[in-house]
Amino acid sequence: MKAGVTPGEMQIDPHETDDALLKRSDKGDERAFTELYRRHQAPLYRFAVRMTGSAWAAEEIVQDVFMMLVREPKKYDVDRGTLGAFLYGVARNRIMKHLERAPRDFSLDEKGDAGHEIHPQLHEQMTPARWAELRERREQVRSAVMELPPEFREAVVLCELEEMSYEEAAHTLDCPVGTIRSRLHRGRALLLAKLEMLREVPKRANASRG
Amino acid sequence: MQAVDEFDGDTGMTCEEFATAGLDLSSPGIDGVFQKAAREHLRECPHCAALHENWLALREDLRVLGAETSESEAPSRVEMRLRQEFRTKHKTVKTQRTALILGWSLAAAAALFFAVAWVNWQMHRGMNLAKTQPNFAHVPVSTGNPSPLSQANAPAASELGDVIVASNGSGDFTLLPDSMPPAPEDATVVRVQMQRAALGGLGLTVNEEHAGDWIQVDLLVGDDGLPQAVRVPQTATETTN
Repeated sequence: MKAGVTPGEMQIDPHETDDALLKRSDKGDERAFTELYRRHQAPLYRFAVRMTGSAWAAEEIVQDVFMMLVREPKKYDVDRGTLGAFLYGVARNRIMKHLERAPRDFSLDEKGDAGHEIHPQLHEQMTPARWAELRERREQVRSAVMELPPEFREAVVLCELEEMSYEEAAHTLDCPVGTIRSRLHRGRALLLAKLEMLREVPKRANASRG
Repeated sequence: MQAVDEFDGDTGMTCEEFATAGLDLSSPGIDGVFQKAAREHLRECPHCAALHENWLALREDLRVLGAETSESEAPSRVEMRLRQEFRTKHKTVKTQRTALILGWSLAAAAALFFAVAWVNWQMHRGMNLAKTQPNFAHVPVSTGNPSPLSQANAPAASELGDVIVASNGSGDFTLLPDSMPPAPEDATVVRVQMQRAALGGLGLTVNEEHAGDWIQVDLLVGDDGLPQAVRVPQTATETTN
């Protein structure tokens, strides 16, 4: 046995499948469980943050999802899909419950793990005025996304923010591709409407004619 | 998409058709004919061109919003909590399993111990009984194949009812006249109750004053069914005398 490996644990092959890891985890292999967690936590967390708008809620949701995997690993049926899709499904249920309880709890400006803001990219090479403008715009878009009905919001989150293909999003949400397309279309239209861009359209059109 | 599928391309694209699917213009899965018609419509329709421009701006905003959180992940405390929970759960399961195995092992050991102890106790008890007093067993008097003895002592046998077989190995037997001492393994000691007078039938001398007394007698019966020797147990002698 190699150094650092506790009794009962084996080394993790990075190419080992989720199902194999889950079996090992079920037998008490903590490394296998940790590997599974590290593989799936980030996309689940992002999905939860973008859906709930709350880093705190997202943390709770991710923790709940993996707690379920620790306590009831048999809930996952290999024949019904991938572990990733299953975890997304569980996360989605938790998110929907959270949204039912707290429909207007959104603030993505929460502090990250080390105390700094989660999104430092926008702070670079900007004048204060430009930064303020972008920040305001960003807030408007974020608010508009958060105000979308959950079913449209998740389509927008997966396809526009997470940049999944329609097929991937359909697989994740366990619904037909056509459903994703229509929800996305409605979501986009609602976003444009919420951002009052649609109201500007006639003005612009008139201006271009003039 | 339905709008894309239904679009025939023969006539120009309408604003409705563009609004339905035109925002997906740059998506890789969009049909070439539809794309061409949509671009043409954009050139001709300022309203849809403005809508498309707004959408492109919004998509860029969404991309930035997505990029802002693209690196975010759950805080490390979540992993710590989960690993703690994992350890607790599997430790508990392991402990429960060990306790279960230990419990069953103890129960099996206890059962085995008691079984061995009971067998030993039974064996010792049997041996002690054999030492202290004869081991009696009631057997019915054989009537189907009467022995010469029973024929000779018919009145006595009929009065006895039951015959008691006593354990072998006791001494103090008096050989009956004209009989040979049988080998111990071939002989059976039979305890019977009879009138003292019946001993006369076996060739023994009987005091006439006590001829009517009921006494217990041990008969040493050979494998031929004939009594070979007789013994009057001490207790019977005392009670009858």
